[in-house]
Amino acid sequence: MTSFVELLLSGITSGLIIGLAGLSVTLVFGIARFSNAATGDTMTLGAYGALMGTSLTGSLLAGGLIGLAAGALSAILAYVLVFRPLQNRSPISSLLASIGVAFFIRAVLGVVFGHDQMVFQMDLVRPFRLHGVRIQPNDLKFAGVAILTLALVFVVLHLTPIGRRMRAVADNPLLARVSGIAPRPVMFTLWAIAGAVAAVAGILLGMKTVVSPESGWDMLLPAFAAAVLGGIGHPVGAVLAGVIIGVAQELATPFVGFTYKIAISFLVLLLVLLVRPRGLFGKIEGVR
Amino acid sequence: MDAYLIAIGTIAGIYLLLALGLNLQFGLTGLINFGHVGFFCVGAYTSAILSTKGVPIPLSLAAAAVLAMLAAWPLGIISIRLREDYFAIVTLGFSEVVRLIVTSEGWLTNGVQGIAGIPRIFRDGAGEAQAVLMLGLTLAFCFIAILAMMRIVRSPFGRMIEAIRDNEEAVRSLGKEPAGFKMQVLLLGSMLAGLSGALYAHYIGYISPDQFIPFVTFQVWMAIIMGGVGRISGTIAGVLILMFFLEGSRFLRDFAPFIPEVSMASIRLGVIGLALILFTIYRPQGLMGDFTKR
Amino acid sequence: MKLTRRQTLASLGLAAGAGLLPRLALSQDAGAFRIGALNPVTGAGGPYGTGMQKMILAAAEAVNAAGGAGGRMLEIFAEDTQTQPQAAVLAAKKLIDVNKVQAILGTWSSGVSLAVIPLTNEAGIPLFHCSGAPALSVPPANEKKLGYRFQATNDRFGRAFAEIAKKEGFKRPATMAFNNASGIGNTEGFTRAWTAMGGEVVASVVYEPAQPSYRAELQKILDAKPDVIVTGSYLADTTIILREWYQTGEETKWIIPAWAANPELVKALGPAVVEGIISVDSISNEGSPAFAAYDAAYQKAIGKSGLGNVYAAMAWDMVTVLALAMEAAGPGADASAINAKMRDVANPDGTKVSSFAEGKAALKNGKINYEGASSILDFDEFGDVTPDFAASFIRNGEIKREYQVKL
Repeated sequence: MTSFVELLLSGITSGLIIGLAGLSVTLVFGIARFSNAATGDTMTLGAYGALMGTSLTGSLLAGGLIGLAAGALSAILAYVLVFRPLQNRSPISSLLASIGVAFFIRAVLGVVFGHDQMVFQMDLVRPFRLHGVRIQPNDLKFAGVAILTLALVFVVLHLTPIGRRMRAVADNPLLARVSGIAPRPVMFTLWAIAGAVAAVAGILLGMKTVVSPESGWDMLLPAFAAAVLGGIGHPVGAVLAGVIIGVAQELATPFVGFTYKIAISFLVLLLVLLVRPRGLFGKIEGVR
Repeated sequence: MDAYLIAIGTIAGIYLLLALGLNLQFGLTGLINFGHVGFFCVGAYTSAILSTKGVPIPLSLAAAAVLAMLAAWPLGIISIRLREDYFAIVTLGFSEVVRLIVTSEGWLTNGVQGIAGIPRIFRDGAGEAQAVLMLGLTLAFCFIAILAMMRIVRSPFGRMIEAIRDNEEAVRSLGKEPAGFKMQVLLLGSMLAGLSGALYAHYIGYISPDQFIPFVTFQVWMAIIMGGVGRISGTIAGVLILMFFLEGSRFLRDFAPFIPEVSMASIRLGVIGLALILFTIYRPQGLMGDFTKR
Repeated sequence: MKLTRRQTLASLGLAAGAGLLPRLALSQDAGAFRIGALNPVTGAGGPYGTGMQKMILAAAEAVNAAGGAGGRMLEIFAEDTQTQPQAAVLAAKKLIDVNKVQAILGTWSSGVSLAVIPLTNEAGIPLFHCSGAPALSVPPANEKKLGYRFQATNDRFGRAFAEIAKKEGFKRPATMAFNNASGIGNTEGFTRAWTAMGGEVVASVVYEPAQPSYRAELQKILDAKPDVIVTGSYLADTTIILREWYQTGEETKWIIPAWAANPELVKALGPAVVEGIISVDSISNEGSPAFAAYDAAYQKAIGKSGLGNVYAAMAWDMVTVLALAMEAAGPGADASAINAKMRDVANPDGTKVSSFAEGKAALKNGKINYEGASSILDFDEFGDVTPDFAASFIRNGEIKREYQVKL
């Protein structure tokens, strides 16, 4: 029983990271209306940014903020140089180009930082026990950061004027334009948030594991699965779905074995698309 | 020198079969298949397993094509009606699952050890003669595929799938159901990928799961996007560019010695990425195409 | 394309259908012995490939400086495998068909070696590699006995792990393996050897790389209450697994291959986490004169210590031992005559030598035994080296070798 609870907790922590990546996917999808395959590599970029920042400033917090800024900046740059010229074409063009962006980011990281692994120097501590269940302090910190990030995104989306405009564009872009909402600030804010959220996910992943140029790309499928399961364009849904996927991956191993556990997110994706294409929370959207 | 060119030609032919399949799916029909390597993998393993168990190679080649098609069928049933970008993600996931299956089911595929000693298609005669025969066979398959492709383009079926690509709603409003046509296209393209995989397995002689990563799919994507989407001449040009790019980097060191060699893999990746971006933005019709509807 | 005028002429001649011309053109240079250096310069083997290539060149230079082998100078043609079977096959075809090499040296990953060896077999030339897969020892891969392995097999590594576990008095080992040929080879070799000694493995897990967490895998292992965990793992996954293990608060011991339990790992996790880990390596011949010569060449070419790249030491030995076999086979010997002399110059009974020049001189007085930089370099019946192993312990952040293991 205790080991079940421990796996559950561990699943929630990795699930929050998947959820943050899914949040970035879902935000871009909701407003820019395409699937951004560069999300995974933006995560990696954020992690490298934070590593550099940490070694420059000596503080993990300042480093993390620098990583966040790097993620946001790269996302804005990708928008200005690649996605804005494509915005009046089919979403496929943007999807293809986003794969190009993903490869390009990874290539630059590979050339600049090499392929040897890098790690965040953190204090590793032994766990404490609560009713016999091992609680790992670092997991609590990761969860805290993830939840704080979510809270910030919600504050921006729901309590600021720009957030309201963003939601208006997400609901009905044509109507939003007719009612005089200027697209430019909305898009810049969107990409800044999407990049920063992806960066946070990447930094947390880097702290839990190791940082290498390939590490983010592998998170792409789970992130898409979370976005779809949550109901595309639905931020809370994406995060909850991420947690569900994370927990499912940890708990499913007795049934499917260790190699197939990474196929779980694909299975979730398929099931949702088949059974409930609008996801857990999504409005009815043209999935088909 | 000639044998090296024969080798490059054979690999180019194998890629051309892959690219023709993808061109049929994306270029003509607008299906975004990000999982092409999955069917390539099914074909390679089918023919490798059967032929090492003693099945005659013509049969194992046919089985590879058929099995790749059969693998596409359930995938199509589940996902063919999905919106195009969802379809893309599902197919990407599919190819990863195929890779996981050949990794884990060691009783069938020898798992991560891979299958070594896959018999050559032409076993008699000198090495050079074998190589020429293999090249000839590969190009013959390409030729047949190209002829078939040209017939398809001119047939009512071809006009229908191009109509689906250009405006699915309009097709639907004429009372035609696009899903059935898309399914046929998915199956045909997968069959070509399966055949291509089988040729690859017999040519290289050794296959393992890590040869079937999504990167292969995106190389083929780069080829058809650079060459020109929807045109057969574009597909051929694209594959030639791809081969030049893959093999050319072997000689790049002589011209650009300042590039550290460990970075070459990253640079190859970066060039593919940049090509995808630039062509999508500035020349969506590719080098050969006059196809400007996208 | 790097084409010499001669090759251009040759291909032009072929295009004209004159099959004789290339042979005539090439015969001008029959004096040199052509060697293909087929190394993982890019891709996963990238950290090692450049060093391997440079050491093949350096060792060939040393051979040529000593007046060549069997009356011939060595000429090296270098190609990149990209650590990928498909690219490696094309490169090998180029080396064999365009450059007409008479031996290929230095393939690295098992996948690449398995894909290349049918080609070298067909051409009747030797392939020297440093791959771990056991399949490379036996037919069909090594049916012509032209393949030589300069690295211990994964299976042998596993046997060394079992010896160490026994010596340390462990009773309940568990295994964790990265899901590839090398990782599984290690733990399966261990399990075979351990059960042959009458022991029992209490739990075993094979894991997929690139996951956000290995907690479930670890939990399954720890639930079996092992006293030691034996891994077939790499640096990145070992880092993540050990970090998660430490944070569970368990006190298990670890036996880990040295390519993962290295100074990088200590740096990544800090001394407290890695305290007491046993790191197992095949013994490079570090104190030997051959190693000193290699190390000096490596310093000169790369500017770093030769200790950091065991495969470069193997590459150095590949050229040296091949040249010695050529010398022993005498002027104008073909590939199979040279192949027949490999064990004569490398295996015991004979004057111990540690460089080509030394061996060339000693060959005049009878048999020699080359003691290499990478190992003492004795080949068994399969063409595999059979090095000894060393157990090192990590204490206070230092990795210290404590004893040797002979199998």
